[in-house]
Amino acid sequence: MRRLFTLLLSSALAVSALLFAPQASWAYPFWAQQNYDSPREATGKLVCANCHLAKKATQVEVPQSVFPDSVFKAVVKIPYDTLIQQVAGDGSAAGLNVGAVVMLPDGFKLAPADRLSDELKEETAGVYVTQWSEDQPNILLVGPISGDQHQEIVFPILSPDPASDSSIHFGKYQLHVGGNRGRGQVYPTGEKSNNGVFNASVAGTVASITPGENGATVVAITTADGSSVSDTIPAGPTLKVAIGDAVAAGVALTNDPNVGGFGQIDAEVVLQNPVRIYGMLAFFAAVAVAQIMLVLKKRQIEKVQAFEGV
Amino acid sequence: MHVLKKPDLSDPKLRAKLAKGMGHNYYGEPAWPNDLLYIFPVVILGTIACVVGLAVLDPAMLGDKADPFATPLEILPEWYLYPVFQILRVVPNKLLGIALQTMIPLGLMLIPFIESFNKFQNPFRRPVAMAAFLFGTVFAIYLGIGAAMPIDKSLSLGLF
Repeated sequence: MRRLFTLLLSSALAVSALLFAPQASWAYPFWAQQNYDSPREATGKLVCANCHLAKKATQVEVPQSVFPDSVFKAVVKIPYDTLIQQVAGDGSAAGLNVGAVVMLPDGFKLAPADRLSDELKEETAGVYVTQWSEDQPNILLVGPISGDQHQEIVFPILSPDPASDSSIHFGKYQLHVGGNRGRGQVYPTGEKSNNGVFNASVAGTVASITPGENGATVVAITTADGSSVSDTIPAGPTLKVAIGDAVAAGVALTNDPNVGGFGQIDAEVVLQNPVRIYGMLAFFAAVAVAQIMLVLKKRQIEKVQAFEGV
Repeated sequence: MHVLKKPDLSDPKLRAKLAKGMGHNYYGEPAWPNDLLYIFPVVILGTIACVVGLAVLDPAMLGDKADPFATPLEILPEWYLYPVFQILRVVPNKLLGIALQTMIPLGLMLIPFIESFNKFQNPFRRPVAMAAFLFGTVFAIYLGIGAAMPIDKSLSLGLF
């Protein structure tokens, strides 16, 4: 009876949490997926930077080279100070989420679960990796997930095999990696989120500051010709102006509440042919033998020279 | 065991050369065949092995396809052009930029004539030319590092 009650209560809690307190869960990379065919623009910019305007460092670790049809890992590091909190959609303080996008070279894809080693399974536990679109299995997405545990996101990757796919060639390829922490400043529709600076729309004097809906603040600015323009600032940013202040057009009315940021980095990986390695080692051995032989031959000639008195 | 030929000091030709500070190839280890035939191939083979190893382990990469309508976010020339690129980047005026580019070959042409009255070859006895050379080298390296940094840090190198 008691167990049933607990089950009921927890499921009710879960349902209500899902219904009434939807977190800014996996909406945001999903928006980018809807709006862009590829996460990388022709200029090399990853499209995440279109909404996550601040720039913060992102690092990536990949092996220097991989053999075909083998599983390796790309580790994306998104460091930030976990004590810092950001403003949530309703203006309250919340922890930061992180997300990452990895653009692999053509043919590389997410490693299937049955190919993962136990160690790799442990490292990737709890991280759900999706691909950008049906026909682009080489572009992987993660997030948003809680940043407290996931400042390092491990992507298990399967390398392609040129023996079974003739469009793949051995060689060096580039990966494009982006990592983000914190909410964006702009929605895909172009609207500002409450995680950014709000500016005065006109020049004039601040006439009144009144509370608006959902914790928002309405700043009324009287312009020089007497008309009044009101700027609505949602909950989140802190107001910097007071009644009676003269403001110029475009001047910041609030502080910048954003603590997160996006960073992108390129990495290189060599798809290596094992036969080439054997060939190279054989060549090195031949070279070493030839060098030793030349030195020995020189020693022999020196003996002749010493005998003949040069 | 090295074969070392002693200088034949009874040879007046060699003595005359030695007096002028020349003729050092008349004694010591013979170049042929000891060096040229046996040690040169050792070095050549070593160099080829290094190049082959790099080509196999770290092959050259094909970059993005060229697109004249998409300027990359960060443009940089080849590394040896970093210093002059940095001059063009930080100078506010195009004419001034071109004038400074012209100054580089002109300044280099000037170097042999500075201190041309100095009879010494030793660089440590040519202080003006040496100072100009060292300053130019250090300044070129400074400009080159600055070229690879964001424009707001390119002059201070982000150090201060």
